[in-house]
Amino acid sequence: MSPETLIIGAGMATAYLLQELENRGHDGDITVIGDERDCCYNRVLLSSLLAGETAEEALRLLPADQGRATRFIAGTRVEKVDTQNRLVRCDNGHEQHYDQLVFATGSSVAKPEIAGADVAGVGVFRTLDDTRKLLEVPGENRQVVVIGGGLLGLEAAHGLNQRGHRTTVLHRNQWLMNRQLDEEGGRVLQRELESQGMNIQLGASASRVHSENNHIIGVELDNGDYLDCQLLLVATGIAPNRQLAAAAGLATDRGIVVDGQLRCSINNVFALGECSQLGEHCFGLVAPIRKQAKVLAGQLTNRPGTDFEIDDWPTQLKISGIDLYRAGVLDTDAEHLVLRDPDHGVYRRLVIRDDQLIGAVLVGDKRGGTWYAELIHNRRNIAALRHGLMFGPEMAQTLAPATAA
Amino acid sequence: MSFCNTTCPYCGVGCGVSAELDQGNVIAVMGDGNHPANAGRLCVKGTALAETLGDEGRLLHPRAKGQTVSWDEALDTVAAKLRDTRDRHGPGSIAFYLSGQLLTEDYYVANKLMKGFLGSANVDTNSRLCMSSAVAAYKRAFGEDLVPCSYDDVESAELLVMVGSNAAWTHPVVYQRIVAAKRANPNKRVVVVDTRRTATCDAADLHLQIQPGSDAFLFAGLLNHLAGSRLLDDAYIERHTEGLEAALAAVAGIDRAHVLSATGLSESVLSTFYQWFGDTEKTVTLYSQGINQSSTGTDKCNAIINCHLATGRIGKPGAGPFSITGQPNAMGGREVGGLANQLAAHMDFADDEVDRVARFWNASDMASSPGLKAVDMFQAAADGKIRFLWIMATNPAVSLPDTAMVKAALERCDFVVVSDCTEDTDTARRADMVLPAAGWGEKDGTVTNSERVISRQRSLVAAAGEARPDWWMVTEVARRLGLGAHFDYDGPAAIFREHAALSAFENNGQRAFNIGGLSGVSDAEYRRLAPVRWPVAPGVSSELLADGHYFTRTGKAQLVPIVPRLPPAVEHHALNTGRLRDQWHTMTRTGRVPRLSRHRDFFSIGVSPADARAAQLEEGELVAVANTQGQVTGLVTIDEGLADGQVFAPIHWSEQFSSAGAISALVPALTDPHSGQPQSKFADVQILAVAVNSWGRLFSRRETRLQGLAYWSRIPVDGGFLYLVADHATPGALADQLKQQLEIGNERSISYLDAENQTLRELYLRDEQLQHAFFLHPARAGLPPQAWMAALGTQALPDKPHTLLAGCTPGIENAGALVCSCWEVGENSIRTAIGEGADSVEALGEKLRCGSQCGSCIPELRQMLAEEKKDCAA
Repeated sequence: MSPETLIIGAGMATAYLLQELENRGHDGDITVIGDERDCCYNRVLLSSLLAGETAEEALRLLPADQGRATRFIAGTRVEKVDTQNRLVRCDNGHEQHYDQLVFATGSSVAKPEIAGADVAGVGVFRTLDDTRKLLEVPGENRQVVVIGGGLLGLEAAHGLNQRGHRTTVLHRNQWLMNRQLDEEGGRVLQRELESQGMNIQLGASASRVHSENNHIIGVELDNGDYLDCQLLLVATGIAPNRQLAAAAGLATDRGIVVDGQLRCSINNVFALGECSQLGEHCFGLVAPIRKQAKVLAGQLTNRPGTDFEIDDWPTQLKISGIDLYRAGVLDTDAEHLVLRDPDHGVYRRLVIRDDQLIGAVLVGDKRGGTWYAELIHNRRNIAALRHGLMFGPEMAQTLAPATAA
Repeated sequence: MSFCNTTCPYCGVGCGVSAELDQGNVIAVMGDGNHPANAGRLCVKGTALAETLGDEGRLLHPRAKGQTVSWDEALDTVAAKLRDTRDRHGPGSIAFYLSGQLLTEDYYVANKLMKGFLGSANVDTNSRLCMSSAVAAYKRAFGEDLVPCSYDDVESAELLVMVGSNAAWTHPVVYQRIVAAKRANPNKRVVVVDTRRTATCDAADLHLQIQPGSDAFLFAGLLNHLAGSRLLDDAYIERHTEGLEAALAAVAGIDRAHVLSATGLSESVLSTFYQWFGDTEKTVTLYSQGINQSSTGTDKCNAIINCHLATGRIGKPGAGPFSITGQPNAMGGREVGGLANQLAAHMDFADDEVDRVARFWNASDMASSPGLKAVDMFQAAADGKIRFLWIMATNPAVSLPDTAMVKAALERCDFVVVSDCTEDTDTARRADMVLPAAGWGEKDGTVTNSERVISRQRSLVAAAGEARPDWWMVTEVARRLGLGAHFDYDGPAAIFREHAALSAFENNGQRAFNIGGLSGVSDAEYRRLAPVRWPVAPGVSSELLADGHYFTRTGKAQLVPIVPRLPPAVEHHALNTGRLRDQWHTMTRTGRVPRLSRHRDFFSIGVSPADARAAQLEEGELVAVANTQGQVTGLVTIDEGLADGQVFAPIHWSEQFSSAGAISALVPALTDPHSGQPQSKFADVQILAVAVNSWGRLFSRRETRLQGLAYWSRIPVDGGFLYLVADHATPGALADQLKQQLEIGNERSISYLDAENQTLRELYLRDEQLQHAFFLHPARAGLPPQAWMAALGTQALPDKPHTLLAGCTPGIENAGALVCSCWEVGENSIRTAIGEGADSVEALGEKLRCGSQCGSCIPELRQMLAEEKKDCAA
């Protein structure tokens, strides 16, 4: 009899894992327990949904018949994991045995401490349910404040802005998406977003929520400014959901500690996705999680493959129709090739050290991004390509000095 | 749609041009099939004439110190300044400097006003720089300035000796006639005597690559050889010449060894030439600026003429010494007396001639002695002696030797008037008053070409702005001086009739120049006047010298004793100057036509391969040539046709088109003692490598004179201008300078910076149209291809404009330097076609059409065919 597999969490990582298992012809019982009402939807598209650019059906990640081999238990939270008896207990009292357990618990929005925030109209933007709630915010031209000018915050702000709300983003750092972009790239992005009508305040954070009748009416900033608003979204970064695993006695740090085969510190327990941590790294992007799903599927089907390895995962995003691409590191003391077309919202910076490309940030035009990521990954000597490097592989080849045949 | 016949305004060949007109515009030009000079042929410059028309760059209104003024005000001022200067400082303080670009009628009235009514002979012309040595030599030998040959003679000669002439580039249609004649007559031989191996050598059976300035040794030695070999025509000498003995005595010491050592030729080459000359009755020696532009130019011309006189090879079909002039109407100028040492109508300053002309003109204040020749005239202005100067249709700040002196003269002179069709020449910007002159296609009159053919240059279109013909300006000034009755012409025909009448006035066969037969032409006949070769007078044969009668006092030709002299040995390198194929003079017209700048683009200096190696110069890098007078910086062109120790620079560049490309700056103001012609083809210069930190290619919609850069040069392209720049500043600092000079302010910028490699590229857009593009690199090698840059002015801005910063668009083929300007065929296309099997000029013509129109590029096509063949064999 094949082992019973239990997956906690029904997010994107789970969807990828299920696909990989199916690809390998896995035929054992699989149970997925998720605390959201919805299972395995494409979280990346939530901002499009909010902006009215995508329909809900398009978020589906798994084929409709996926459920035949897999049992989904939605809207249910696992409260306790007993690794000794290989048993989990849910908040509705349901108990479930497993032979192999997978943590795919994802992450949650890390909420900042804001006084008075425990009122209606203050929310987060993380799940399909969150999005539906935002979609229900009546009318247009509402005043909305989004805290956090990172990926999540900007996506939410874009969606709300598209719906006709007057949207202000508060960002604590000196430029938007400071984890992905350099300052200049952040400024170009800001200019483009502002040109779409978004209001952006840098170096700002909220200190107090003002409310009336238990509903938000405004927010006070720590610089003393005050903004009227009927809706406040918190999107200040994410933290891996590791608490359940920690309580079960698994080794955790920022996330749940795994090895190259996604194995946790206790036998037959695995973790992948945003809740996992390998070495120093946690994961938030699609590409590495897909790789994790492959490795883990090998493990779960008893045909382990090569280890999952940390890599220079490029960031590839689209916010408000603006292409963003980031790969490698953006060290300031290295050599830089910079292309600027601020009026057309284009900014591209390539970072070079010792004739190797080590980083790339592309705003407004991400052509060549994958190629740059490869060059970074392969540590290729780009001295001959440098002249045309900025302009993509074809141009770099065309402009390279002819080498002796 | 209609056609109008006129003449080309460029070289001295004087081709007939048929212009196609539509609704007041010239839409195309082609060769006039009925004109004796060209019989339908036209070179690339002529073919591009329609492209030089239009208001762009034209001077449209009179301007006093930059302020537009009315014609009345301008003419009043000019007349007042002229009168005041003459009254206060005497007739010697005023001068006119004219041009071979003027029509005969313009020339005539200017000369008449100065020499007949203002009491000064200070009228000289840029023809002084071109053929005054030939004039002086003809006068010494024949008693009058007469060209004894025609283009038919060039064709029918069995031996054609071309001396100091790169006709393939400078007189392309005559060259094409030579090539065709040679094809028709396999016995015809062509010898080219030139210090350089030029495109003309393509037609040569023998190239005598002599040392600079040694021509007179060649011909003195030839005369000595002919005499020693008893090859002289004793009967002709006896009946028609004088001075043989003295001439032979002068060359007695010039034996074979002497010639070989002076010219640097090999014994076999020299022997072949002497033998061919000795054996061939029908010999024409065709010579040009390589002979004339020398401090011993007149002697060189007479050394040639002596050989023809002593062998009787003159005045016969297919024989004679033929000076071919550089300019379209140098001859017309000579005929009216446009040179300071001539009076008018081939009369000089002998008392009886002064008297005759004074009576004819009813002159109120007749000049009685020669005036100052060009170089002396400007020196006098620099010395404060000439205080009023009117310059018509020429750009002496570029073309005269020692341009620093010329510029000082223009500064010092109290009042400088410049009448020109171009707004911003190096001379015009130093003038107190500029007057807009009618240009080619607008003005109306006559010109005389190198073979004495008078042709009409007709008005095709209305003059731009307020432009007026030069003759009108002169007569209006004369009227304001109270001389209206003497200058009362209702048009050029009236002037022409008077000029023709003067040529016949008390002539009695004394003067060869006689067009009295035309003095009665009606206005209608003048309008229709067909090309006609002078003399034109009742009872006078148009075949000059056929009867052996010369125009000296004795009626005999004079052999002039010539003691050849070499120029002083150069300490460094010998500078030679000359024309390019597709440009004309200081480029005020041809410099506006994109396709004429594609054969040779930016200002370059030719260096021999060995000299380039010695100075560690690479093709396309910067080089300066310098001497005590100045320094000129250009791109290195390694020219295998140059002998070691020699440097070649084209004459066309000015401050208008480049940083320091006016090569005359290095030419000393040394002149021939007889003709006053400057030695423009010889100067001692040093080659200096120029190290720079930046190279840049710029596209700009704006036509700007850049300032303060180590090097810049500009060419026109469709929709704008291309600049090549180089400087000591880093690319970043250079970009700042350029932005300022191009007045870039509110344009939207798109930039690319590789700070470590000092690579900076910037685009400037206004209303989504590209205004400027900079590509600045530390080395020239990294700059975008020129063909790509040249297309920026017309191509639509791409969807993502920043992709232009790559400096290349895959798929745009780089055709290379333009070889065939007529069909716009580039070097790369030609080499590809050769590689694909086109193995002859004809095959290339069939495939790409190159070389099939004007034929100017055939020498280059042939060279490429030879090179590719060599590559295959290797």
